[in-house]
Amino acid sequence: MPHEVMSKEAVADLRLPAAQPREHSSWRWGKSESLLMQTLQRLMRSKTAIFGLAIVSLLLVVSIFADALAPYSPTHNTPDETFQQPNRQHLLGTDQFGRDMLSRIIHGSRISLAVGLSSVLLAIFVGVPLGIVSGFYGGKVDTLVMRAMDLILAFPVFLLAIILMVMFTPTAGIIGTMKVVSAIAIVRIPIFARLVRGSVLSIKEKEYIEACRAVGQHDVKILFWHILPNCLAPIIVTATLGIATAIIVEASLSFLGLGTQPPTPSWGWDLKANVPWIQEHPWLALGPGVAIFITVLGFNLFGDGLRDALDPRLK
Amino acid sequence: MREYILKRLLQVIPTVLMITLVVFAMMQAIPGDPIVALLGDAYDEEDAIRLRREYGLDKPIVEQYAIWLGKLLRGDWGESYLSGRDVLDDVVLRLPITVELIILAMAVALIIALPAGIIAALRQNTWADYTAMTSALVGISIPDFFLGILLLLVFSFALQGLLPSSGWVYLPGTCPTVVCNESVWGNLQHVIMPAIALGVGRAAILTRLLRASMLEVIRMEYITTARAKGLVENLIIIKHALKNALIPTVTIMGLQVGFLIGGAIVVETLFAIPGLGTYGINAIITRDYQQVQGFILLVALCFVLVNFLVDLTYSFLDPRIRYGTQR
Repeated sequence: MPHEVMSKEAVADLRLPAAQPREHSSWRWGKSESLLMQTLQRLMRSKTAIFGLAIVSLLLVVSIFADALAPYSPTHNTPDETFQQPNRQHLLGTDQFGRDMLSRIIHGSRISLAVGLSSVLLAIFVGVPLGIVSGFYGGKVDTLVMRAMDLILAFPVFLLAIILMVMFTPTAGIIGTMKVVSAIAIVRIPIFARLVRGSVLSIKEKEYIEACRAVGQHDVKILFWHILPNCLAPIIVTATLGIATAIIVEASLSFLGLGTQPPTPSWGWDLKANVPWIQEHPWLALGPGVAIFITVLGFNLFGDGLRDALDPRLK
Repeated sequence: MREYILKRLLQVIPTVLMITLVVFAMMQAIPGDPIVALLGDAYDEEDAIRLRREYGLDKPIVEQYAIWLGKLLRGDWGESYLSGRDVLDDVVLRLPITVELIILAMAVALIIALPAGIIAALRQNTWADYTAMTSALVGISIPDFFLGILLLLVFSFALQGLLPSSGWVYLPGTCPTVVCNESVWGNLQHVIMPAIALGVGRAAILTRLLRASMLEVIRMEYITTARAKGLVENLIIIKHALKNALIPTVTIMGLQVGFLIGGAIVVETLFAIPGLGTYGINAIITRDYQQVQGFILLVALCFVLVNFLVDLTYSFLDPRIRYGTQR
């Protein structure tokens, strides 16, 4: 076919397509509301996701207003009221120290939710930048970061959490809770790092990223303005489901005596402390256990719904 | 295949070395002096110096690691600071119990997950599917130790001791001491509740995964072809669909071993089973560094071995998988 030469007028009339960075920065600009609205609409259509969200919201309210909702102090010992069965004064009974179980469960929700949310946020704060930098620059940086992540992943997750808590030495109070948060966050970092790295590896080869480089955009702007928004969906889903896992890990660590320490109320610790008495007083084990189960179920339901809403192809 | 195995083995060696380095470094980072803990109220400076020299704790860190690694390779995993017992002997005694628990837990998981996942996929969006998926979600959300407590409440307490609540009966021929209880039935009675407590959570994960894999596979063209050829449906599902659907499931099963190891630690503590888990927790509580090192090292090495075997199994199931091999 003969090669056609375009006239200057024809060239001037050419309309280049809108630069993809603008379209893919869809989380922030006005046009992106349709994507966000679509996700919300899909989420609202899922009854299980709504149920999960309701559970999570209720727990958040309970943990925030625990002081007002709990009928008694969680650490108040009443030697005259030990091992009481559920009754009007103590809806879930009392333990071997006469402490109200309902109050301990309400206050225990603070620790579980605080540890769950904090550990995941910390893991995201460290893991996501590592994954982005590793995936974007590749080479020695990628090798170094991924080998470090592989080293963490070489250990079973719970075993590594145990090792870290032994190193940190479990203590009571806020410092003790921070140690638990740190231990759980460290074992979760590789999950986010590898997840984001995988996303970045596919995104960075797209034409619009090349166009950003061509127009001279700084790497930092490309990473956080164009690449990161496109990684948000899997991060959000993994984070939501990760909170459920973090709550179970915290409860398990506390059950072994390596997590939250008394007198701070903790569901896992209460289960551990009450096991010797459950034959005669079975209600002592049901309260904290059911609380853990409902909390984790709520986050799992919501996380599943969020995953389906963010990518219907995954259903 | 031989080349692939050798290549994977070569990748395992540096991983194992890094694990030993990390384990050693972690133990050094633990606060507290083991000699102070060992001597307790009878602490005397001269005794402390003598013991530090005896255990090699007065040497530089790098030298301590080199000595420790050399001993490991020769099978000398040190002696417990508190009991004086050989650490390797102790962990080897306890390892079979934990391995038995993990294997039975995985068996429980497969017995539940295989039929549930297949039926859920074949009866998608029916009551069978919803029941399976709801049960799976419940299984994922319930902690191992709480399920163990519920099983205790029902089978040990409510049913008047139908199953024992704690302790262990060894399989015939596995008793570590001269006198102990040995019985297949007794062993089963003691292991069934811990195995169920540990296996249900894994079953839930495998059910969801198998359902997703089966749904993908049964929509493939070769399944349609098989049906068009007139093959019996059961044969199509078992011989063609399930085999391919199991490939990602096998990978996840291998990864689940890591969670089973962690779960075994908690479940053994709950049921007072004399396995590796209780050994490790007791070592941690008493700050017996040699025991802690041996426990962590053995568990981490087992984890590496399992991952290695899973990789081999994966490549065996799917002949297309040859890392670095041209197609």
